[in-house]
Amino acid sequence: MPIISLRCRESITGWLFVSPTLAGFLIFFFGPLIAVFGYSATEWNLLTQETSFVGFENYTDALTENQDFWLVFRNSLVFAAGLVPLNMVMALSLAMALSRPFAGQVLFRTIFFAPVITAAVAWAIVWKFLLQGETGTVNQMLAIVGIDGPNWLREPNWAMVAVIVTRVLKTVGLNMILYIAALQSIPRDYTEAALLEGASRWQIFGRIIWPLLTPTTLVIMIVTVVGSLKVFDHIYLMTGGGPENGTMVLAFFIYEQGFEFFNVGYASALAVIMFFLIVALTGLQLRLKGGLQ
Amino acid sequence: MIKQIVLATALTAFSISMAFAQDLRMTVWTGSDAHLGMLNDIAEEFESTHPGVTVNFETIPFSDYVRGLTLQLAGGNPPDLGWLLESSAPIFVDAGVLLDVSDKLRNDAAYNFSDLSQSAMTLWQSSDAIYGIPFSTSPYLTYYNASMFSSAGIATPNQMVKEGSWTWEALRIAAKKLSDPANGVYGFQSPDGLGYDSRIMHTLIPIVRSYGGEAWVNGKCGFDSPEAIQAITLYHQMIFDDKSTVPPGEQANFFTGGAAMTINQISRVSNLDEANFEWGLAPLPSGPSGESPTIGQAAIVAFARGQNTELAAEFLKYMTDTKNSATMAQFFPTARKSVLEGDAFLNSNSAFSAEQIQIVADAISKGGVLPSHPAYPQIEAAMRPRFDALWQADAVIPSVMASVCRAIQPLL
Repeated sequence: MPIISLRCRESITGWLFVSPTLAGFLIFFFGPLIAVFGYSATEWNLLTQETSFVGFENYTDALTENQDFWLVFRNSLVFAAGLVPLNMVMALSLAMALSRPFAGQVLFRTIFFAPVITAAVAWAIVWKFLLQGETGTVNQMLAIVGIDGPNWLREPNWAMVAVIVTRVLKTVGLNMILYIAALQSIPRDYTEAALLEGASRWQIFGRIIWPLLTPTTLVIMIVTVVGSLKVFDHIYLMTGGGPENGTMVLAFFIYEQGFEFFNVGYASALAVIMFFLIVALTGLQLRLKGGLQ
Repeated sequence: MIKQIVLATALTAFSISMAFAQDLRMTVWTGSDAHLGMLNDIAEEFESTHPGVTVNFETIPFSDYVRGLTLQLAGGNPPDLGWLLESSAPIFVDAGVLLDVSDKLRNDAAYNFSDLSQSAMTLWQSSDAIYGIPFSTSPYLTYYNASMFSSAGIATPNQMVKEGSWTWEALRIAAKKLSDPANGVYGFQSPDGLGYDSRIMHTLIPIVRSYGGEAWVNGKCGFDSPEAIQAITLYHQMIFDDKSTVPPGEQANFFTGGAAMTINQISRVSNLDEANFEWGLAPLPSGPSGESPTIGQAAIVAFARGQNTELAAEFLKYMTDTKNSATMAQFFPTARKSVLEGDAFLNSNSAFSAEQIQIVADAISKGGVLPSHPAYPQIEAAMRPRFDALWQADAVIPSVMASVCRAIQPLL
């Protein structure tokens, strides 16, 4: 009779296999996550290392007194509202166009996916050159067709448009690949049967393809919304949050509070607010899934 | 038996040497081979007189320097020494993270503390405590493309200096004549082309001071004063009316012939080595209030939380003594009067003539350090979006400057 039962041995083996990943999760993700909640109730100066408990003061200051917070909050929502639909529509359109075999299919897929693996710094530097005022390539091309382009990254309204579009071009390739995989998993019989029944291409798309893409669309939407609310490097490199704070988003605001002003407690409170914002939006999308299905 | 004794002796010697070995780590923002070569030469000399000591220089990029340094301090991995900019001095002194090295420096007659310009020491002293020694007291000067001036047949800044006509208005006229925006060539470029972003103060303060203004004085914002507005209006007109200054969003570069003039510091113009044109160096233009040289300053500091504070203070003293100040002056003009007044300084940098280095020395003797404040990061962040409104062709300058002052006054 063994001392440890087979079930127990299997259980121990299982835990041993997952323990490295579990340890990494607890130390590098769950621990810091819990710590941020704790820090958010303190006034902690990174430089002096002075810490004092302030309860919910950081939250009340951000939500009721700091006018910049609501500007930043609005900017984050505008960025997400601009980026998510544009990204998803482009990704699906490209996927529809590139999912069928034709000469040059791989080349075009590579072209649209290449920005995803391009370094963010290189991408931003190139676009900063292209979007220069009068001498920028984009404006010189617009001038050929008689359009006097704006100073894209220096005018508050246009800067947001510029960072959204350049971010979409950087990330759309990944969503395109996900949509291509989903499109290729739809059995050809469905569309062929619909065609035989006399359905139009729009009917096939609306009644067959789109409903079958719903699970993929939901994943893409959640990932893209979360990514858009967490965006930092693109803004940091392209506009630095300017002009006139027109592109200052939540993640950049948190960085500024924590690493430029050294107010770690305040930055942590902002991070917690962002966390709940993302959780709320993700929950909303999951409920939408129920509606869609 | 003999083998065992030899082995035991060797192990004991190794253990003792390990016990006495001390590593000093110093953070710097330069990545230049020439700068690091010079620093390592100084460190090697120090190591030769301090057995068991090793000095390492760690480069943190300039744009990330304060953040990187702060994270090291906060993360329990403080360097022993580091460079610090004038804008960071008050906040680091107030935070109590800098080591007071006054005993080490004042009690050594050979160090000759009184040789350091007291005006240069202002930011780094508090009562009797000394928290840093400026190793770079580097004035902003005018660098110009002499080839472009020669081709256009107009007087160079140095010729105008001799005639007594080198003013910001004269710079504006010259810049306009030398500009060819359609071909991407401008008359003037702000320091490193960052005058609309991280180097707003480095661009505007030299002009504002020569017109009699100041960023802030005794806790009162000065950007909305008539003098400051007049100065900033001149710069705004150069950008938007004359189109002679590299405008916001454009990226022309002085060092590649994209601009005829720029202002910068001697430690930040190493690209001149690769310039394919004749260049010249002149003082900053004067304004209605005369000459107002502006100085960017950086100091060597030791950190109170460092592991080897005694040794760090010793190395700080060594690096900033008269001999090593003279060595470093080839790149970083010193605050030591004896070095600045000596002939060796005039010939310290092969890229610059003695006459040009004399311009540097004159500017140091007459100049004032850039503005600083314990709340500088917050002030800078508050100013940035308001200044963004200035960089529009139709900006109402008095109103923009009033908004800058409204934003920063509570922080002053």
